[in-house]
Amino acid sequence: MKQDTITFDTLGNRPLPKWLTDQRDGLNRYQPEIMVMKEDKSLGVSFMITGTIILLVVTVLTIYILRKNRKH
Amino acid sequence: MRPLYLKILILSAILSLACTTKVSEWVLINALPNEYVLAYYHKDTISETVKQHNSEISAEIKSANIQFRNILKKDIDRPYYALYYNNRLFGKYNDFRELDEIALSPLRKRIAGELMAGKLCVMLYLKTGDPQKDEQGLQVVKKAVEASPFGETITIVDLSRTSAEEKHFISMLLNVESDLKDIQQPMLFGIFAKLKALEPLIAKGITEENINLMIDFLTADCSCLIKDDLPGTDILFAGNWENPAPALVNGIIDANPSLEHR
Repeated sequence: MKQDTITFDTLGNRPLPKWLTDQRDGLNRYQPEIMVMKEDKSLGVSFMITGTIILLVVTVLTIYILRKNRKH
Repeated sequence: MRPLYLKILILSAILSLACTTKVSEWVLINALPNEYVLAYYHKDTISETVKQHNSEISAEIKSANIQFRNILKKDIDRPYYALYYNNRLFGKYNDFRELDEIALSPLRKRIAGELMAGKLCVMLYLKTGDPQKDEQGLQVVKKAVEASPFGETITIVDLSRTSAEEKHFISMLLNVESDLKDIQQPMLFGIFAKLKALEPLIAKGITEENINLMIDFLTADCSCLIKDDLPGTDILFAGNWENPAPALVNGIIDANPSLEHR
């Protein structure tokens, strides 16, 4: 049987029943999810994207204004 | 209210109830006991006398968790009966008279009565016949149960290992694990639900701490982890399990919510 204790050498070595050790170790209850902290890079990525967009907009506007002035 | 919403509400109520029902109560109400198989092995045609004996046995075990089968087997010396539980041989009998009261005995009837009356469990203390060993363990059991807040919902019974009246019951208890027959030590079986016997505490394992863990196990909210892998062995019993009394443990927890499981 699944709950059966394993073969033993002496009575002193005989393990306790599985249902009892599970109860003692809290294994009969759902275990809470273990939360692991991950490295947060979102702030750096946000700065890089914002900087890139600003540079792109400035470049596009500069080219646009220069071209417009040249025509005049 | 629309029928769909009503169905969802009822289903939610049932699910929430299932998760707060205690292990002992949930198993008593919902789990069917596993069945034994009593096989009659024969190599020749069954005589009328044996047919008559077998029909008497079948009638006696009709309401029990057992099936009776005739099995033709050519390589045997003489016919015999064999009792199996989950494909494990629990007993072998050469004569039909040895099967008297295989499914019913006074102590099994008494324990079933206690469980049907709403008791959490019956702690059965199986004695060895050595008074010194027996008394020491029994005192530990009594002390632990008296000290438990659930003490009044637990019945302690002791049984001599050599009791002739309960020989079938003792044989089933000693078959709960494969090595128990060889251990001449006191054993404490927690019996709950429809006569399900937990794997026992033995000798020095009979401690207040372990007895409290047994009580914790039976008073815990019934999680799916327990339902999916229920420990213990169902004892053969011909009895009626309909309409059990409400579990007494619920009244104790309602009066003292701090006892609710952690």
